Amino acid sequence: MHDTSMLITGIGVISAAGRNVAETLSSFEQGTRNAGPVTIFSTVLKSPVFEVKHLPAEYYLEGWRTVSLALVAVDEALKDAHLADLSGFRVGVCMGTTVASQLNALQFYKTYRERGAAPMTSVDRFLKGNLAEYIGRRIGARGPQLSVVNACSSSTDAIGVALSWLKGGLCDIAIAGGADELNHVPYCGFSSLGIANPGLCAPFDRDRQGLNLGEGAGVMVIESRANARKRGAASPIFLSGYGTSGDAYHLTAPSPDGVGLRAAVHDALTEAGIGPREVGFVNAHGTGTHENDLVEGKALADIFGPDLIMLSTKGYTGHTLGAAGGIEAVFTAAGLRAGWVPACAGFLNKDDAIPIAPVRKKTPVTQRFALSTSLAFGGTNAAIVIGREMGV
Amino acid sequence: MKISGIGMIFTEGLGIDSFEKALQNGWRKPGEVPVHPVTGGTLPVYLVNLNTASVKTLLKKVRRSDTLSKMCVVGASDALVNSGIENLTQKKIGIIISTAFGPHVTTFDFLDDILDHGDAAVSPTTFSNSVHNAAASYVAMSLNIKGPTLSITQFQFSFQAALQLAQIWLQQGRCDYVLVGAVDQYGEVLGYVSDHKLTTAKDGRIKPFTFNPTCQVPGEGAAFFLLSNGSEGSVYCAVNAVHIGGDPARGESVDINIIDADGMLPDESAYRSSLSADIPTAAYSPLFGSMMIGSAFNAAAGALMLKRQTRYATPVQDNPLGIRLLTEAGRGSIESIRCTGINCYADRSVIYLSRA
Repeated sequence: MHDTSMLITGIGVISAAGRNVAETLSSFEQGTRNAGPVTIFSTVLKSPVFEVKHLPAEYYLEGWRTVSLALVAVDEALKDAHLADLSGFRVGVCMGTTVASQLNALQFYKTYRERGAAPMTSVDRFLKGNLAEYIGRRIGARGPQLSVVNACSSSTDAIGVALSWLKGGLCDIAIAGGADELNHVPYCGFSSLGIANPGLCAPFDRDRQGLNLGEGAGVMVIESRANARKRGAASPIFLSGYGTSGDAYHLTAPSPDGVGLRAAVHDALTEAGIGPREVGFVNAHGTGTHENDLVEGKALADIFGPDLIMLSTKGYTGHTLGAAGGIEAVFTAAGLRAGWVPACAGFLNKDDAIPIAPVRKKTPVTQRFALSTSLAFGGTNAAIVIGREMGV
Repeated sequence: MKISGIGMIFTEGLGIDSFEKALQNGWRKPGEVPVHPVTGGTLPVYLVNLNTASVKTLLKKVRRSDTLSKMCVVGASDALVNSGIENLTQKKIGIIISTAFGPHVTTFDFLDDILDHGDAAVSPTTFSNSVHNAAASYVAMSLNIKGPTLSITQFQFSFQAALQLAQIWLQQGRCDYVLVGAVDQYGEVLGYVSDHKLTTAKDGRIKPFTFNPTCQVPGEGAAFFLLSNGSEGSVYCAVNAVHIGGDPARGESVDINIIDADGMLPDESAYRSSLSADIPTAAYSPLFGSMMIGSAFNAAAGALMLKRQTRYATPVQDNPLGIRLLTEAGRGSIESIRCTGINCYADRSVIYLSRA
């Protein structure tokens, strides 16, 4: 069979769990949960958040935190891929985000409301800060650029779009993933929905009380095997399937039967040419909200059986919204590469309504494939299949 | 890839028939809207009217949605109906909604909530509607579409990027049909920003061929295209190619050039290099207003011309540089049309349409 999967030759990540892949894996091993009160803006709300502390100084861009986070992950991924010079390649950039796509400029708007005029600094940042365009111009990429704004599945979708681009011959290499900063506006929004946890999130736990917001970026360098071969690059990790499907059910709640998620997983597995039994673990969306975890847990148990190795990494990062899929795709790739997945932080007690439980401790993984899922506002569901070459 | 149906809502009304009438009738002066009360005055704007009877019926299912989402639901539904294809709900339909600014009006409503009531007393409904993919979700729910559903933003090239992705999804068999939409909404803050950063045509007349200096008149609306690789339904034309960041087929001859010039850039001189003395050029932005997703409306004009085999005169013909314009309407053979857009970096995007 002709292998149409694409190599993942580089990964990069930044979140509260670490400023790169190595730091993150160390946090995972130690079970570190770097959550705390909001420090980057003023608020009366108390839900803990997972902020990125100590953003590397060379990446600090005033008023462009999402872009800064993205650039940290992009640079790590490019370095991991040994791609210092992109000039000879058609490089596409596909990034998911929520915050970078919105003019959430509270001070600008407050001034405008009062005076009918306001300084344009934040507007200029917004207009120059389209995530894919900014990164593309910064790294000199000459290929398609796209910012995906599909709420919490944005960057899983961005990676899926990159796979389609590569298969369709639109580019030789794709930089794909997502980034989002912790922002005042969605922080208030999630609180208003009644799903912000007053304590720390506990994905899939019986007593879960909601999510914690986080921030970060996760990026992959993906390329065709022919292109990698041509430039002398190799990697045991590859991207082999993407599925996306809508619930057509409700703006903020997942369909109780998980119909969209089931279809997305089915399509991703089909594109990868594998069945559920070949999936070694699933890095689930697992936000820690009652509805998400119930629907997702049931669907995953139905598809993969109750013995599936499954976890959510949001106990280490919080819910990073448009960045979540990118960050979790990187964790999935890193887990396959390292041969283990961490404990599902925050999980203590099995929920009898969910016929599957996440792992409670560091767990070895031996199979060839893994799945990462994202469920979003608006009822969009996305899944990607990542694999590793055995014996490499 | 073929365009099997077009739906739209814009300042002149609902549907491709309204758009065709506008193309036939030519330029009309837009309405005026008040600006911020402190500064006072008005701005010309091409606004959409969602209060017509036919639109109201369609919108019953989505009454809690915002204006942006309502425009999308109306446009998307209209495209499906316009295609005339039966049993579409049994097919796998993808949705890609492209927008430059998304639900910015609702975002500012939510900021009003924060400023007026504080962090702990904001509206969850307003927040939900301020999320970029709310419009796509309302389209999916109201039309019961469960295929891939994506929202994207790439400023001036949002629509072209959506079209390019639709082509790949169809090629790769991810969908049987893709509903590609382009939408943007006018709002007071965006009107202020546009007026501050660009030059507003106080007489409401966009002059697409002056290039520098330019003048803009904000518009709003939604244009949707039902795309497939088959030949079912009310086929308008084929989309032969979509190029972003350059035009490898630049030397090829076409029957008509359509350019997206609309004053959304202070200098649009970069369009000049895409023109030719041999090919008549049109720009239809004076009919729907200045919008970063205006390319979707221009593409709809191109598709309609190919289907009808009828030329529509470019509506505002101020022509200080003596460019060869499409000055007269009339029937005649049209085989191919090139739609060109330029962004703020002077990058080029092109959509090649041809007779189906």
